[in-house]
Amino acid sequence: MAFLISFDIDGTMEFGDPPGGVTVEMVRRAQELGFLIGSCSDRFPSAQRALWEAREVKVDFVAAKHMLPDIRSRFEATRYLHIGDRDLDQQLAEQAGFEFFWDHEGVSEPWLAWLEDHGE
Amino acid sequence: MAIPIAPYAWHRNREGLGIWEGRGRVVATGVGTSPTARRWDEKPESSMGALTILAIRRAIEDAGITPDEIDGIVLTPESTTGVSNDPNAPAPAGWDSVFKMADFPQAGITRGDIDWILLNMPELKNVEFKMNGPVCMSVAFTTAAEAVSRGLAKTCLVVRGWHNLAGRYYVGQGAAALDTAAGPGKYGSIFGMPACATTAMVFEEYCNKYGKSHEMMAPFIVEERRNGLMNPDGYYTQHRPEMITVDDYLSGRWIAKPANIYDNDLPIQAALAVIFTTPQLAAHHKQKPVYILNHAQTRPELQGAVPTLNEWERASDRMGRMLYEGAGIGPEDVSFENMYDGFTLFHQFHLEGLRFASRGEKRGYALDLYQTDISIEGPNPVSPSGGNNGNGRTRWWNHRDCILQIQGRSPSQITRPAEIGISGAHVPNFCDALVWAASAD
Amino acid sequence: MPNDLDRPFYDACNEDRLVLQHCAACNRFQFPPRAMCPRCGNPALAWRQLAGRGRIQSRVVVYDSPVSTLIPDQPFNVATISLEEEPELTMLSHLPGVPVDKVPIGAAVEVFFEATPATGQKVPEWRLVS
Repeated sequence: MAFLISFDIDGTMEFGDPPGGVTVEMVRRAQELGFLIGSCSDRFPSAQRALWEAREVKVDFVAAKHMLPDIRSRFEATRYLHIGDRDLDQQLAEQAGFEFFWDHEGVSEPWLAWLEDHGE
Repeated sequence: MAIPIAPYAWHRNREGLGIWEGRGRVVATGVGTSPTARRWDEKPESSMGALTILAIRRAIEDAGITPDEIDGIVLTPESTTGVSNDPNAPAPAGWDSVFKMADFPQAGITRGDIDWILLNMPELKNVEFKMNGPVCMSVAFTTAAEAVSRGLAKTCLVVRGWHNLAGRYYVGQGAAALDTAAGPGKYGSIFGMPACATTAMVFEEYCNKYGKSHEMMAPFIVEERRNGLMNPDGYYTQHRPEMITVDDYLSGRWIAKPANIYDNDLPIQAALAVIFTTPQLAAHHKQKPVYILNHAQTRPELQGAVPTLNEWERASDRMGRMLYEGAGIGPEDVSFENMYDGFTLFHQFHLEGLRFASRGEKRGYALDLYQTDISIEGPNPVSPSGGNNGNGRTRWWNHRDCILQIQGRSPSQITRPAEIGISGAHVPNFCDALVWAASAD
Repeated sequence: MPNDLDRPFYDACNEDRLVLQHCAACNRFQFPPRAMCPRCGNPALAWRQLAGRGRIQSRVVVYDSPVSTLIPDQPFNVATISLEEEPELTMLSHLPGVPVDKVPIGAAVEVFFEATPATGQKVPEWRLVS
C-alpha cells in the first residue's frame, strides 16, 4: 500500500519563495515512513531537483505543476496528495484526482494519519 | 507643487521630423544598480525608496562626480504594475524614524517621489530641474535626454525603483476579487484574461499569419537566461542561479496559451539610476560617455478592446523608421538590440520593426532568427542584456545594458564591436525608445 | 457597471443591440467608449448600430485567470472578434459553445447578448454562425 505526496515549493516549502511552513524534516519523515515524495512546482524541473539535492533529499519525482496527471499515471498508489498555497494548486490537484491540503494545513503533517487509517 | 511631465512638444512620435536637434548633445555616463529582492520584507532599509537612494549614490560614484554636480532629476513615480497601496495609506511602523516623510505616506514605499528623494538625500543640494517620466523608465530616459539637450539640466539623474509587496502580483486582488467590473478595465477584465493574454493573442495572430509556432521561442528564452546569469546585479544571479533548458521551457504551464509561465517575467524589487550629462561635462566623468542619437515614441491607436497584429506591426515599423530618421542611421548600423521582453512573446515585434538582422525581410522572420546564433558571441546578438526574462521584472535592464555595452563593461559583453544599440519599452504600440552610440559621428 | 460615458452602449445591450461610438471626421468606429476620438480629438461622437457580424481574429486559452470568479471555469477560450464594419476594431468573446482550444480562426460569428450574473446587465457575446 503506497501513498504519494506532491509538494508545491514556493509558498509551501520552507525553502520556497516566499517560504512556506512545510519543512524538509517533514518531507524526510514522510519518506522514511514509506511515502513516495516529490514536488510539482512552477520552478523548472531541473531547478527543483537541484533544490532537493542541496537538502540531501532524494525525491521520487519532480514535475511542472500541471503535470500532476502524469505523476498519477506513473506511480501506483492508494492515495495521492498535493499540497500547495494557491487556488490553482487546488484546482490542478482535483482535476488530476489528487486530494489537496493547503500549505498551512500541511504543517500539521496530516498525511501521517493515513498510516493509522490504513492500518500501517 | 506638482512635478511636471514632459510637454507634448518633446515627443518624437511622427515621421518627417528630420535629425533630432539633441543628437550628440546628451550622453550617459554613470550607472548605479541596487541589489534585488523578490519581495519587500517591510523593513525601511530594504524598501524601494532605500534601494533607489542606494542606486543614485552608486551612479554618482560610478560617474566619478560629486552629488552637488547633480542639477536635475527625472523619475518614474510608478514603482509597480501589480499590487500597490493607496498613496495615503500609512507607512509601516518605524518608517519615519528612518526616512523623512514627503507629503504622502507611501512615498518611497509604493511610489517614487523626487521630493522624497531630495528630503532623504541632503547631498543633492543643487537640484533645480525636476520632472516625472511616468509609466515607464523609457519615458524618463527620453524626457531626461530632451531636458539635457535643451539645456534645462546639465547633469541629470534618471531614476526608477520597483517595489513588490507580499502576495500575488495580480491574482484575485482588488477588483479581480469582485463579482462586478467597473472603470476602464471592465471591458477586458470581465473576460478574465491575465496580463500576458493580450500579447499572447497578437502572438497567436502572428504565428497563424507567418506559419510560426510557440516552440520557436525556446532558443530566445534560453539565451536570455544565459545572458542574465552573467549579470551579477540580476535577480536570478543573486537569488536563483538556475539555467532554463529548452525542455523546461517547452513543458511550462500555460497561463494564456500560447503564453506559458516562462514567457512572463518575475516581479522583483530593484532600482536603477543613470547619469545623463553633456559631452563637455562628461570629459571629467570616470566612465566613457555614451551618446544618445535619437529617441522616439509610439502610442496606441485605441480602436478596439485589444490591439491587432496589424497595429503592432504598424507601430513598431514606424518606431524603426522614426529612430533611424532622427539618428541619421540605418538598420545595418545597429550592433545589437535590447528591446523590451517583459512578455517574451512581443519582443520579436520590436526586433522586426527595427529590421534587426534582417536579410531583406520586413516581417515574420524573427522566430527564424532565434534559431540561428543570437548569442553575445555571435553576429546578431539579440537582447544581450537578458532583459526582464533573464534578470527579473524592471523594464530597465535593457536600457542599462545598452550603456554598459557601448562602454565595453557589460557583464554580457557582445563580441562584435558595440557601436550602436537600441533599447525601448514597453509594448509595440506604447513604446519609448532610444538610440545609443559610441560617438556622435 | 455602466457609467455616464458608456451607458448608451450598455442600454443598447439590454435591448439586444450593438452600438458603438463613431467619429464622422475620421469615419471610424471605436471601442471601448471614450470621451473623444483618440485620433482627431473630436468629442462629438455618435452612437451607431452595427450589424453584429464579425470574424474570429485570434484566440488565447486562459489557464490561470486573475479574476476569482472565473477560476472555476478555467481553462476557457477568449477570442478577438474583428467587426464586419471595422475590421481593425476587435471585441472580446468567450465563444460560448466552442470547445476549449478548438477555436476556428477566421470563422464567421454573430453577436448575442448575455445577462451577467451579479447585476443582470447584458453584455455582448459572440457565437459561430451555423
